Amino acid sequence: MVWVELRALRDDIDLGTPPRDGAPVTLSIDGVDVTVPAGSSVMLAAATAGRPVPKLCATDTLAAFGSCRVCLVEIEGRNGCPASCTTPVEAGMRVHTRSERLDRIRKGVLELYLSDFPEEDLPGGWSEFHETLATVGVTSHPYGRGENHLAAPIDRSNPYFVFDPAKCIVCSRCVRACEEIQGTFALTIADRGFRSAVVASQGESFLASECVSCGACVQTCPSQALIEKSLFEGEYERAHPTQA
Amino acid sequence: MPIPRKPDGSVVTTCAYCGVGCGFKAETLGGKVVRMIPWKEGKANHGHSCVKGRFAFDYYAHPDRVRTPLIRDHIDEPWRAVTWDEAIGHAATRLRDIQARHGTKSVGAVSSSRCTNEEIFLVQKFARVALRNNNIDNCSRICHSPTQFGLSATLGAGAASQHFDSVLQADVILVVGANPTEGHPVFGSMLKRRVREGARLIVLDPRRTETVNSPHCSADVHLALRPGTNVAVLDSIAHVVVREKLYREDFIRSRCHRDEFEQWAALVGDDRYSPEVVGPQARIDPEDIRRAARLYAAGPRSTIYYGLGVTEHSQGSTGVMCLGNLALACGMVGREGVGVNPLRGQGNVQGGSCLGSWPHMFSGYRFVTDPEVRSSFERAWDITLDAEPGLRLPNMFDAAVAGTFKGIYIQGEDPVQSDPNRDHIVAAMRAMECVILQDLFLTETANFAHVFLPGSSSLEKDGTFTNAERRVSRVRKIVEPLAGLADWEITVRLTNAMGYALHYDHPSEVMLEIARTSPAYRGMTYALIDRVGSVQWPCDENAPEGTEVLHTATFPRGKANFMLTEFVPTRERADDRFPLLLTTGRVLSQYNVGTQTRRTGNVAWYAEDLLEISAQDAAARGIVDGDPVAVSSRVGSTVLRARLSTRVSPGVVYTTFHFAQSKANAITTDLSDWATNCPEYKVTAVEVMRVTPSMTRAQPTPVAEAVEA
Amino acid sequence: MSDTPVIEVERLVAMANQIGDFFAPYPSAQRAEGIRNHLRHYWDPRMRAALLAHLDATGGADLAESVSIAARLLRDESRAGAKAYAGPPRAG
Ligand code: SF4
Ligand code: SF4
Ligand code: FES
Repeated sequence: MVWVELRALRDDIDLGTPPRDGAPVTLSIDGVDVTVPAGSSVMLAAATAGRPVPKLCATDTLAAFGSCRVCLVEIEGRNGCPASCTTPVEAGMRVHTRSERLDRIRKGVLELYLSDFPEEDLPGGWSEFHETLATVGVTSHPYGRGENHLAAPIDRSNPYFVFDPAKCIVCSRCVRACEEIQGTFALTIADRGFRSAVVASQGESFLASECVSCGACVQTCPSQALIEKSLFEGEYERAHPTQA
Repeated sequence: MPIPRKPDGSVVTTCAYCGVGCGFKAETLGGKVVRMIPWKEGKANHGHSCVKGRFAFDYYAHPDRVRTPLIRDHIDEPWRAVTWDEAIGHAATRLRDIQARHGTKSVGAVSSSRCTNEEIFLVQKFARVALRNNNIDNCSRICHSPTQFGLSATLGAGAASQHFDSVLQADVILVVGANPTEGHPVFGSMLKRRVREGARLIVLDPRRTETVNSPHCSADVHLALRPGTNVAVLDSIAHVVVREKLYREDFIRSRCHRDEFEQWAALVGDDRYSPEVVGPQARIDPEDIRRAARLYAAGPRSTIYYGLGVTEHSQGSTGVMCLGNLALACGMVGREGVGVNPLRGQGNVQGGSCLGSWPHMFSGYRFVTDPEVRSSFERAWDITLDAEPGLRLPNMFDAAVAGTFKGIYIQGEDPVQSDPNRDHIVAAMRAMECVILQDLFLTETANFAHVFLPGSSSLEKDGTFTNAERRVSRVRKIVEPLAGLADWEITVRLTNAMGYALHYDHPSEVMLEIARTSPAYRGMTYALIDRVGSVQWPCDENAPEGTEVLHTATFPRGKANFMLTEFVPTRERADDRFPLLLTTGRVLSQYNVGTQTRRTGNVAWYAEDLLEISAQDAAARGIVDGDPVAVSSRVGSTVLRARLSTRVSPGVVYTTFHFAQSKANAITTDLSDWATNCPEYKVTAVEVMRVTPSMTRAQPTPVAEAVEA
Repeated sequence: MSDTPVIEVERLVAMANQIGDFFAPYPSAQRAEGIRNHLRHYWDPRMRAALLAHLDATGGADLAESVSIAARLLRDESRAGAKAYAGPPRAG
């Protein structure tokens, strides 16, 4: 229940999924035994064991969503690679967070994300997305500049933050933060597939929308597509040319 | 510049804007605050925030901030910039001179809920040891003084019985005269979360607020009562509890005085409080009163949150008592998920209340007339203290008008804009010989001041705040005070200049003194707060890390008390000349009188105070949306822009009071709560009339002034 | 200092009557004691003195009867030492 989810949060660590308060369950992560409350995710157990799994769409202030496929792990006795954020722990589970296969899959997924991210924004970046790329060791992608979102206009309407769709990886953390944490339901993901995009209310600007500017979306955005204006000197502009 | 600058420093501190008291990490770059990130370990906010604390911090470096002390002999003269020594010396000389001519009791002081606990404590100490009287009050006088009175009378402690998280265990949530999603947004989000999980919601409010209806959260019962009928409606809810025997016999027997319960049940059980009688008076459906009563009494865990809609009435204290009575009768006190909880407006209203900034009480809610308590302070401070209660803030103004009160030291308050009956306050200000104002900006009140002492924002000093759930959290200095001194240092200097020697090296030493002299803070130290994050009082040997839920085993007086709460209608009535009832409130993006938020980008959402009026009342007066309208009451009038709204019922109009230009307090009367003189902001009979544009020229456009930052 | 009441008497009378209204539902002895306790421990002594002076001078026609009775109790030596309290008025 929410009670525990909120009270057990810690500042210095993102457990990936909300803390739980079930009976203790012991499992092994990369050979290390760890005990966590029942109801916890494998991702949380891994973070607790000091073996954090790379992730994009998960964070411990939001319910697990399971959309980005970066957090895959191997579990002995199971086929395939389940997403650690949506897999609950079980007693005696033996989880592996690193392997050649996992590396390959994660790299592949991240390269796809990177192919639609402005390459000028890579060097010097310090967002969660940048950090995840660095942990997995992805610095480039084999796709060339293809279809991208550089034509989408930047929304500067809010006095305090900007939304640059070109940097959005559509993890929907902002949408979920608006619903689960703030309770305003101002954001949605419109459309599907490549065209899917974050929109405020019925496609309005952030300022004109139902958004109350609590900042929960900005705080949770892993890619700094939503970001405080105060971190820029002067107005936020793209470094890259606008192109279709 | 696509890559954002990365902050190079981070300090945990507490938001000063509202009584939620959210924990933040103030992130700095090259010594400047560049963003505020909500602290995940903040026990009031768990990593959440609202637009004010999160973004509206840049007021601190606003060019309008006063950076040097100012003095003048007369309020018609221009200010002269002087040194700190000269300003303090001047202030002290003027105060001493007034006292020599008009008596010890001709001066007083008022402390601010925007200041830290340490600073509030020092201002009341200043009044008692340097002014040598008890003319000391705090700004909760005009918002939550009835809370202290009404909850002390019933439960025995004038503070919230729960911690905020308790709402996450509630099955039924009763919100009375509060709009948490706007006034206390982070708590409002928690409340909505609980409602989405299935809790039932009852709202008592004349207005269809956002709390009444928003996506995935709507009230099961909304009692849109007529302003001024709170006590009647709450008594009527109690009537149903009594007549339908929904009360908890076992709880009443073990935790309350049975005879007082009988006395109370006889009063509220009388036919005059039946829903069928009260409903028409309050213009609500009697059946809704019954539904509300049954829901609340059934629980199993029912909790009450209330705000200024309860307190700012001529029966404000009575209204608070009604809530205490109701919770006691239904056994909804002393566990997780229940309780009676004020939602406090300004950041440190609870601190203002606990730390002795009262004319009749020392810190820890102990009467100045109590000889033992008084002598404990006399020993601690080595001075004889005034044994009689002093003047309350409104009475100080009354006395100024009567010519018996001549000087005041005001810490961070703007009474000319925020207190009721503006003309009366202005007359009082003009009648005083020395007004010493300590603030960040030259406010409306500064127009009437003789000495201006530039204060410091909460980013510029160390200290603590006590939020609405009794939680004491650290305020940490991020940047140096813009004008050189933190507020506590200014008060210390003024005390010294008045001839009482005072010295502290750091606010932590003031906290030690608070702990030594105030029972509920006995165990409170900076080291403890640093270790556990924040501490809810009472904190003492029995509760070394503080107390989340009050009254679990006993009440402060052993048993709790039922109070008799007869409904006495306010003298302020609608009639033919003033047929509408005006009630007031606040919006999310602005903060109280807006001294700070008006100087931030928050004006993007709300650039002026608007008058909400029902379509029916507007049509009857030929008013269309956006028209400038004159709003007049028995005491004065002002011009606002009309907004047609379905949030208010016909017969009721509503406005906020965030902008000085709108002078909302020019129309509110000086009627006040019987017990505490808390002003009746929530009920004013008015008439509204369309005005032609030429009549509004005197009205400056608020936006231009406010956005220049 | 002078004979000027600290606050205009009209205002004091209005405040006192409001206090009287609150305690009205209590039995008479409790009612008077509740008002007395409030005036004694919440009012500046000059406000009490002005109210009493007004009562002496006019007989208190504009004051609620319960308030006049309670105000006179302020002079009752036997209650002078009574400590302040919150909560229901104590029986006389
Ligand atoms: S804006 Fe940020 S949080 Fe929202 S979907 Fe895009 S990347 Fe995720
Ligand atoms: S204004 Fe209140 S709710 Fe908003 S961040 Fe500050 S303390 Fe929290
Ligand atoms: S983090 Fe698990 S799927 Fe995105």
